[in-house]
Amino acid sequence: MGADLIVDPQIRFWVFLPIVVITFLVGILRHYASILLSSQKKIEIQQLADSQLLLRARALRENSGYIPKNAFLIRKQAFNKEDGYLMQKRPAVSQNMMTDPSMMTDMLKGNLTNVLPMIVIGGWINWMFSGFITTKVPFPLTLRFKSMLQRGIELSHLDASWVSSASWYFLNVFGLRSIYTLVLGENNAADQSKQMQEQMQMTGAASGMPADPKVPFKAEWEALEITEHQTKLADVEKDLL
Amino acid sequence: MANKIKNEFVAYSEPAIRNNLSIVEYCRTSVAAVSGCTAGVLGLTGLYGALFFVIAVTSFWFMLIFKAGIDSWKKYFISRKSLLLNGIFGHFFTYILCWTFIYGMVHVY
Repeated sequence: MGADLIVDPQIRFWVFLPIVVITFLVGILRHYASILLSSQKKIEIQQLADSQLLLRARALRENSGYIPKNAFLIRKQAFNKEDGYLMQKRPAVSQNMMTDPSMMTDMLKGNLTNVLPMIVIGGWINWMFSGFITTKVPFPLTLRFKSMLQRGIELSHLDASWVSSASWYFLNVFGLRSIYTLVLGENNAADQSKQMQEQMQMTGAASGMPADPKVPFKAEWEALEITEHQTKLADVEKDLL
Repeated sequence: MANKIKNEFVAYSEPAIRNNLSIVEYCRTSVAAVSGCTAGVLGLTGLYGALFFVIAVTSFWFMLIFKAGIDSWKKYFISRKSLLLNGIFGHFFTYILCWTFIYGMVHVY
């Protein structure tokens, strides 16, 4: 490599490596902390029954080709007839998530495991390792990237592919996502950015159970109504024998 | 024509397909990380690194299809192309991180 800049090897062991290790271990810690803090969501039995009903209707719709036509029509009738499962009336439930105390504690816990470590660790890294040039990305970059990769160092003549310690930390935060998937399995809580997205959605619309089951019931009813039976097992005897 | 009709009604078991895909996803993440480390150790820079990523991913794809059987991969996966291209940018990001990390450890100082 063209050595236009010589970096002290001590930086490698006392700045460069620690940042990676700290970021990684904080992610692991967050995963287990969120498991520890997570509370079982309380679900009303009626809501659960409704969502299972919808699942059953969908399963029937998608797998209709595997049962005889007669059986399909009987099941469809059970769902869609005048007083069938999908035509049941439900009292509209209006729930306000702000007045629901369990919702509030959930959000608080979410903040506790997400935002707080990010601020604390990010601030600590910025304070502890500020102003180091840590590494060089092995590909050339345009000047546009300077502000992104060299946070904390204002050197106008430095080549854009050098990376400062603060930016190295952020690269790690966003880049270790798939490594977490590898280590902790899917649906882990180590990844910050995904969790933040989830929180945004939570505040946008109360996710999870639909508040009013009438709407999905109606949609499912319509979808089931237009489903035509078309057997997928027409020549199954030939295939199997 | 007869072949086409038959293809339309290929019955897949959805949990099995999903399981296959998630296992492949693990493998591809590993490939991205390991090939990134390799590129870092080799000290590849610039376009050579990008080329190395493409080679690594494509050769993994070929190995996967070979392992599943050149004729019988359809039993296990719905689409061959999605095995190569799904989430390629996420893997490229993993690759870049590992590449930068090992390159920094080995070559910069």
